[in-house]
Amino acid sequence: MNKKHFKNLVVLQFFFSFLIGELNIYTHRHYESDKILFKSFTNRTGIKINVIKGSADQLIQRLKSEGKDSPADVLISVDAGRLVRAKNLGLLQPVFSDVLDQNVPQSMRDSENYWFGLSVRARVIVYAKDRVEEKELSTYEDLADPKWKGRLVIRSSNNIYNQSLLASIIEHNGKRKATKWARSVKRNMARKPRGNDRDQARAVANGVADLAVINTYYLGLLANSPKKEDREVASKLKVFFPNQDNRGTHINVSGAGLTASSKNKKEAIMFLEYLTKLENQKIFAESNFEYPLEYQNADSEIFLEWGSFKADKLDLSILGKNNLEAVKIFDIVGWE
Amino acid sequence: MNSWNFLSILIALMIFLPIFLIIYNFNIESDNWVHIRENLLGKYIFSTLCIVLGVSVLSTIIGVGSAWYVTCHDFRGRKTLEWILILPMTIPTYIAAYAYYDILELLNPFFNWFRINIGINETMMVESFLIYLIVIILFSFVLYPYVYLSVRASLLLSGNRLIESAITLGLPSNKIFKKLILPSTKPAIIAGLSLVIMETLNDYAAVEYFGISTLTIGIFRSWFGMYDMASALKLSSYLILFVFSILITEKIIRGKERYNNINGSQNTFSKIPVKNKKIFLVFILCFTPFIFGFLIPFVRLLTWLLYSSFNFEDMNIVQISFNTIFISLIASLSIVCIAFTINFVKNYFNNRIVRKISELAILGYSIPGAIIAIGILKLNSHINTSFNILIIGSVFGLVFAYGVRFLAVAWQPIQSSMKKQCASINHASRVLSASSTTSLFKINLPILRKPLLIAALIVFIDVAKELPLTLILRPFNFDTLATYTYDLINQAQFFQSSLPSLLIIAISFPAIYFINRTTRNEL
Repeated sequence: MNKKHFKNLVVLQFFFSFLIGELNIYTHRHYESDKILFKSFTNRTGIKINVIKGSADQLIQRLKSEGKDSPADVLISVDAGRLVRAKNLGLLQPVFSDVLDQNVPQSMRDSENYWFGLSVRARVIVYAKDRVEEKELSTYEDLADPKWKGRLVIRSSNNIYNQSLLASIIEHNGKRKATKWARSVKRNMARKPRGNDRDQARAVANGVADLAVINTYYLGLLANSPKKEDREVASKLKVFFPNQDNRGTHINVSGAGLTASSKNKKEAIMFLEYLTKLENQKIFAESNFEYPLEYQNADSEIFLEWGSFKADKLDLSILGKNNLEAVKIFDIVGWE
Repeated sequence: MNSWNFLSILIALMIFLPIFLIIYNFNIESDNWVHIRENLLGKYIFSTLCIVLGVSVLSTIIGVGSAWYVTCHDFRGRKTLEWILILPMTIPTYIAAYAYYDILELLNPFFNWFRINIGINETMMVESFLIYLIVIILFSFVLYPYVYLSVRASLLLSGNRLIESAITLGLPSNKIFKKLILPSTKPAIIAGLSLVIMETLNDYAAVEYFGISTLTIGIFRSWFGMYDMASALKLSSYLILFVFSILITEKIIRGKERYNNINGSQNTFSKIPVKNKKIFLVFILCFTPFIFGFLIPFVRLLTWLLYSSFNFEDMNIVQISFNTIFISLIASLSIVCIAFTINFVKNYFNNRIVRKISELAILGYSIPGAIIAIGILKLNSHINTSFNILIIGSVFGLVFAYGVRFLAVAWQPIQSSMKKQCASINHASRVLSASSTTSLFKINLPILRKPLLIAALIVFIDVAKELPLTLILRPFNFDTLATYTYDLINQAQFFQSSLPSLLIIAISFPAIYFINRTTRNEL
């Protein structure tokens, strides 16, 4: 395209931007993949995207305070629980789109279409290749076994990923058993919880513990880090997907919903559809090593190396519902 | 009531309003409160007290010790030390925490040995103790400059004559310190220390990373984990209560002991010579805080920078730096204007209501930024329902939030200098019925030029470092160096995060330089 054409196009785009409109997004996601996708969406449609990044809880609070005048059109969160919360606070509105219905599996979206999953995150066990045999591992429940005493690290219960995991265990096994589980796991810890999932992986690689519970993409990030030490950490560890013989591995989604106050509804729905398209799913999920919505068919190298798995089919709204109970259990057993 | 008083009350009330919207929830009983009280409150209070006490003691020792040597002694390298000792102030606690994040990893072999040979529970105890120690040291080494600056200013102002007479009387150096300097700088120590404590309480990122459950962590756990804003706000009120009691203590101590300024002759500040044998020791003593508080994190960031690959194609780092400077300048100017005006009105008209309300308006500094944000969001929704205007999402909203949070920072130096230097003049000019505007612009402004400048510079640095308020209240597509750093650290892009971190330090650098020059010229 020559310069003149380009200039005309820019002028045209500027002129039409009043008609085409913009899209305002509140997002908890802070990944490079999102930047790439936002840009390609703008290039394709001419719709400018404005972003505010922050933690989902705070963004929800902001949405609430802005009420019907909120400029936000889309809320993106890194877990389903917060989207459930936004829905319950009346901050989202349902979206009826055949494309979304087709692209997002039923268990990964709200039953009333208030929010939709965008990428999948599996919470797994990673273990030290040289100290643990794969056959010693089986389920999340097994982590409570005394044979792991002093051999396990896991991050603080302030973190939503652990809260969601326990929320799922409450749903499957009941509150009493879940409490017992949390107490025993706490007893098995090699050290008090600190740091993020990446630090837990490091701790296993450095011999502090033999197992850690982490989200898979952290391992992907370590394996592809520019730092040599990080890659060494990843090379010492192996992924194990728990509960393959029964309910499947605990997953959560990063997802999005249309805000109740949205003034650019059409563009927002277009945007959600765009993110769930197969080719974009690849970028959206895989450049951050998260699983795409069709996680069974993920075929990039690192996923193949980790192996395929069966995911827990639990309705993700349950995670939001049980979150408070999970936090209270953590408090009672003293898992900081 | 005249218009000056009215205006001051109005502004102070505006600033206090978000804080009020937080504490006003104190009595709300939420469902989870019983659970929090029984399982967590004790733990929260215990760890908060441990950290605050530890940081207080250590930062006082470092701040007072270095100020005493650098200001009242004469030795080679003193002038350099004088200003590099302020530098740790440019490093936000969350960046310092990341620069030291792997310090515990170094101890892993030791812990592993301990775990196998002594036992897991014992190891956990030792580890917990060490973590507390590390966090205390970390905070103390980046926060002591608040004590250092305040004590040094006080020594420069009144230490001269004290030392002159003491030397004449033949008192040894350590006696001068114990008997004269320590008691006479007590108010300055406490003033600086209260800022250190408030900064400590504000931290979330560092304690979260090291796994210490402070009250601030508790606030976020109730909010994010239990979705229970009422309990979060109730815990915040505990925090505010705690700080309020510190401020009251400070006031009582300041009020009881009045100090006269014995101004020494200009420019001839007698200094205690340091004997040759001791020079090395003194130098090391004053150099250590600089090494841990600045040099190590700084060098660390520099080495990360070497590994980072910046894509200068999208030059948004320039835009982000510009945003940071722009917003920090606007905020610091408006905050200093407000602090100056209200202080003047308070001092000149001596109105009781202005005095009381302004004391409430400076409480914001003690409250973690993210909680202030809730107060502002609440205010926003009230204003929106009544007037249909959104105050957040604009630069104005952000500057207003900074005002709520940082008024106290400008307040302290302006208040104390005005009391010392303008109180009697203001009284006289009122008796002579000079107009208040004349007094404000012709008398107070020129006299207080330097403390005003210092206040503006400190606020500038604070705003440039500020994270949680900016994160949640900013307009669309608006990044500051702090939010950008945070974003990169969140993605574990430590190498990439070094450039914006270093830029925060770089733009604070001139401010530090001027703070030092201005303080020194006060002689």
